[in-house]
Amino acid sequence: MIFDNILAASGAIFEIGTIALMFLGVTAGLIAGAIPGFTIAMAVVLTLPFTFGMTAVQGVATMIGVLVGGLSGGLMAGMLTGIPGTPSSVATTFDGFPMARKGRPGLALGLGVWSSFFGGIIGAIVLVTLAPQLARVGLEFGPWDYFALVMFALTITASLAGDNLLKGLIAGALGLLAATIGEDEVNGVARFTFGADAFEQGFAFLPVLVGLFAFSQLLSDVKDRDKALEPLMARGTKAVRVEHRRAIVEVLKRWTTLLRSALIGVFTGILPGAGSSVSNILAYDQAKKASKTPEDFGSGIPDGIVAPESSNNATEGGALIMLMALGIPGDVITAVMLGALLIHDVIPSPSFISDEPVLAYSIFIAFFLAHFIMVTMQAVCLRAFVLITRVPMYVLAAIILAYCAIGVFALNNVEFDLWTLFIFGVIGYLLRSLGFPLAPMILGVVLGNIAELNLNRAWSIEPSLTPFLTRPWSLLFFTFALFSAAFPWYQKHRREMKWTLVYLPLFCIAVSGPLALMDGWVRPVLGAGLLVFGTVTLVRRARAGWRIERPPAPPSRSEET
Amino acid sequence: MRSIRRDTLVALGLLLICGTFFAASFDIRETSYASLGSEVWPRVILAVLFVLSLALLAQSLRVKDAPAQAEHAGLGAWFAAYRNPLWCYLLFGLYLLTLPYLGMLAGGALFVFATLTAIGRRDLRALAINAVIGIGMVGFMWTVFRYGLNVILPEGELFYGW
Repeated sequence: MIFDNILAASGAIFEIGTIALMFLGVTAGLIAGAIPGFTIAMAVVLTLPFTFGMTAVQGVATMIGVLVGGLSGGLMAGMLTGIPGTPSSVATTFDGFPMARKGRPGLALGLGVWSSFFGGIIGAIVLVTLAPQLARVGLEFGPWDYFALVMFALTITASLAGDNLLKGLIAGALGLLAATIGEDEVNGVARFTFGADAFEQGFAFLPVLVGLFAFSQLLSDVKDRDKALEPLMARGTKAVRVEHRRAIVEVLKRWTTLLRSALIGVFTGILPGAGSSVSNILAYDQAKKASKTPEDFGSGIPDGIVAPESSNNATEGGALIMLMALGIPGDVITAVMLGALLIHDVIPSPSFISDEPVLAYSIFIAFFLAHFIMVTMQAVCLRAFVLITRVPMYVLAAIILAYCAIGVFALNNVEFDLWTLFIFGVIGYLLRSLGFPLAPMILGVVLGNIAELNLNRAWSIEPSLTPFLTRPWSLLFFTFALFSAAFPWYQKHRREMKWTLVYLPLFCIAVSGPLALMDGWVRPVLGAGLLVFGTVTLVRRARAGWRIERPPAPPSRSEET
Repeated sequence: MRSIRRDTLVALGLLLICGTFFAASFDIRETSYASLGSEVWPRVILAVLFVLSLALLAQSLRVKDAPAQAEHAGLGAWFAAYRNPLWCYLLFGLYLLTLPYLGMLAGGALFVFATLTAIGRRDLRALAINAVIGIGMVGFMWTVFRYGLNVILPEGELFYGW
């Protein structure tokens, strides 16, 4: 059965048309990812209009191409200019740029490319292995659990989006509110139309996304008048020859860093809301902590490139696991992928892999294949990247704004969609300028209907709030939501305030409850283990008088002398 | 006089939005067949948004006054700081308003030309380049969508029958 599905999916993916589209997608992703100011999510959003005329397999394969290309494109700008192309390659710059400046740009790029490749392949292997298993767990979910999972996804996105949790939560709530405008999917009743007929159908998904993300991002990029007139990069940027063979050897020599970072990436991706912008820094930090020579980090060492680059590509494998197994996007990029699937009338859910096996296996194969294409195209794109960086930002912005309009109109051939694009472009820019993170709002727009639909289903089955707190999965997700909402304060005051000593043990104890209520023996045993760990830690800390262990202070000047 | 902080204004604006939407939630038609009325979920969101907005208001009022900032430089400085985004919005708005008359090809090319001229360079050579970019890029995109993806794009009343 699995073999049949793989064969059918291979047939769909290895068609000349699909392969050509993937090559185009990877190339576009590599170039877009390399341009500072462009994000991968923006590149994927802008690809969406092109996929309308394609089959679902072709559309998703093209978008996966853009996604993988974008993840790897960011390293080119970071290494050659010191400015990361995307937030996913911020940590790559720490060692990639110094290595390039020391006269080894070819090796630095090679390390980046091959770390991305191996990290992505590890992510793909975990995706293929874990997605069907997680989907089986997902079949245990009822509407209460789905509703709670959406709430968790929103709170964790808000808490990871920036310093200001409150603004993140407000952005998430605004996204949910925007999703309620127009006809209610369950009862077919129009809401918040304010007398305007145009609002009755609600806002189409794509114009909202393009407006919030691409439109507002472009205007932020051209806000500075002088910078907008300058070429994206200094004229001195040159294409270099990538040292592939040497790089492969160096990456494989560091297989522990590679594997650890890729796994960090995968599990960061599985967490709803946490994407590759978080995982690359996390992996770099862990590689530094595990190193025997942490002081060398930042001076241009291979480990400093292998860790972030392998983790950011693996992250999308993790995010795709969540999307394919549960229908919940792991990050903004997979939220856009969800939109693409919905446009093709495919609704990801725990039964997605069994209901749509050809499409599901096509995603697996496309994710693998895109990494091979990425390695092939990197050298070609390096030259294109150097050419594009000579174009000033204002030129790119004007052209892309026009493209946004054409692409958005192409979705439904409705002029109102263009006004939606405009309105959400203004809202996105305003929110961005006022310090609100946009990721929670986008997830709110995407997940709003899913949350309401499941709330309705839950209420139809039992008109009571009790099951939300008595069903183990629902309780588990609400517990996660509660602790993730408190996480920014914990992180801010850790090693400063005594209450932070309670956070971790209390989290373990709180999580142990729902785990103990679950079927089978693995999860209850895990719950018991967490309960013991949490209690012992709590008792130990109480006995120690809630003493905060501060990191050793740096030696004072008098001590040094 | 103590100036009102930005976040305070934002919080007040959000509270206003909550109030407007809450009032509008009473216009939502009630149905006899629904187990959960269509107004319930929006009201839950509005309640959460209301509490969060109040928290933002309290947070903004609690923060001590920062030393005098350039924020008080006046409306002129604000317009100067946001000149490029304002131009883009204005021209995009005009593009949408004229779309039924000019269509997507001519309107798009004009929009790109006008935007490049408004936020970019304006010497004679630059104007020529802007025109070439506008016509060339929009023409290319229009061709891809019209003939490659078979999307019917607005032709514009002025060009009907051409």
